Amino acid sequence: MRRAALIVGAVLVVALPQLAQARPAASPKLTILAASSLTEVFPRIDRSAAYSFAGSNQLALQLEQGAPGDLFASASPTYTQRLYRKRLVEKPRTFASNALVLAVPQSNPAGLGRVVDLRGRNVKLVIGTAAVPIGAYTRQVLRKLGLTDVLSKVVSEEPDVKSIVGKLALGEADAGFVYRTDVRAAGGRLKAIRIPARGQPEVRYEIAVVRSSRHKALARSWIRTLTQTARARLLLRRAGFIVR
Amino acid sequence: MSARAGFTALLVLAVCVAVGFLLLPIVAIFWEVGLRGLVDGLRSDVARDAFRVTLKTNAISMALILGVGTPAAYFLATRRFVGRSLVVTILELPLVLPPAVAGIGLLSAFGRLGLLGGELDALGITVGFTQAAVVMAITFVASPFYVRQAIAAFEALDGTMLDASRTLGAGPARTFWRVALPLAGGGLGAGAVVAFARGLGEFGATIMFAGSLQGVTQTVSLAIYQEFDVNLDTALAISAVLVVASGALLFAVKVLPLWTGSRSTSPSLFARSAST
Repeated sequence: MRRAALIVGAVLVVALPQLAQARPAASPKLTILAASSLTEVFPRIDRSAAYSFAGSNQLALQLEQGAPGDLFASASPTYTQRLYRKRLVEKPRTFASNALVLAVPQSNPAGLGRVVDLRGRNVKLVIGTAAVPIGAYTRQVLRKLGLTDVLSKVVSEEPDVKSIVGKLALGEADAGFVYRTDVRAAGGRLKAIRIPARGQPEVRYEIAVVRSSRHKALARSWIRTLTQTARARLLLRRAGFIVR
Repeated sequence: MSARAGFTALLVLAVCVAVGFLLLPIVAIFWEVGLRGLVDGLRSDVARDAFRVTLKTNAISMALILGVGTPAAYFLATRRFVGRSLVVTILELPLVLPPAVAGIGLLSAFGRLGLLGGELDALGITVGFTQAAVVMAITFVASPFYVRQAIAAFEALDGTMLDASRTLGAGPARTFWRVALPLAGGGLGAGAVVAFARGLGEFGATIMFAGSLQGVTQTVSLAIYQEFDVNLDTALAISAVLVVASGALLFAVKVLPLWTGSRSTSPSLFARSAST
């Protein structure tokens, strides 16, 4: 009995601070909060960092609530700039652009060939919520193309772009608006239908150092690696991003 | 201070730590939202639609769970056969499964490309993204909470009562309706309440299998998740209502048996089924 109590007490005393502290300062390892659409390419650029991938809006909220992290990479300047105005991150830098496509499962069950085909009967369309960048961009595309009526075909609003990819890859939905890099990353499970250039929004990715980071110098050099080395730029391009 | 008093102090301290840790986040919800935010949040379309969808889908799944679960539990509680433990384990499995696994499983079985997808498609039925999918997700994760308790309630029945009913000429069906069901009522009610409370909060399996669309498949948990970075007040207000509703349900389970006085037939909330 007493020994059990001692063990429980010892575990609490030893384990809790460990869990709360994340990792010792001796070997600094960067924690990078990044948009879902960067899920495949960022670990290819740097395997040693710790990543948290989610909708940029969710990551921004987490940082506002005091979540620990060294870098924040957003799929839309909206969120990096919001945190910059609140002095939570340093000046953001653009590092890549992307484009939207209409993705369909490889089998293309609804037989879609063009974006306007969404107006056909019985199409199950999946988009992002209005808050997540992919959802906001999708609404821009539909406005620019005068296709806002197809919002009535939406069967689900997903919290991030990878959830849209999941619903499509499983064949549950007929079509969804995602980034062209997501179709490439899905490796043959999805097909992309081009969106006419006049409907294309400006999809710009920004990255910024978190002010509360304890490894700011390392984080700044990570941004330099991302934006200046030929290897990182090649990997981004191979994934389908547009790098200037 | 005697050793006994010291030990009691230790126990009291443990209770205080446990209560404090569990209560603080709940108090924080009400603290953050305030009365104004609560009213405004609940007035939003998102909140109203979410409550409507949640109540409707949960009512249907409770009907399914009670309708199928009660006779199944009665059978398992009153018969002994080879493989019974296996059957009970299967019925209880969702209790310990992560909801995400339930979601994947439902998709693999009933999704368009799933095991039964082709058959359902031929019948003109698509489950994904409909309220039927929400009902299935809720039923899958909530039913074990009822069935487990129902088996325990039926097993706790005094066998001589059932025998007496039979010797007095009532058939097995009549015995079930007129004797077993009323006697086990308290335990069944407790199980139903806990299953309902679990169903109200269903999240993981629903978002994977049914998706999230306001007014159609977006239940309260999905609405909280969606609104939490759009309109925190709405998310907090819905959470506050869920806290009150779930708390009231749980409290009712603890208090009601005391009032009705049916002590012997309403075992404690998480009575262990003798079969496990």
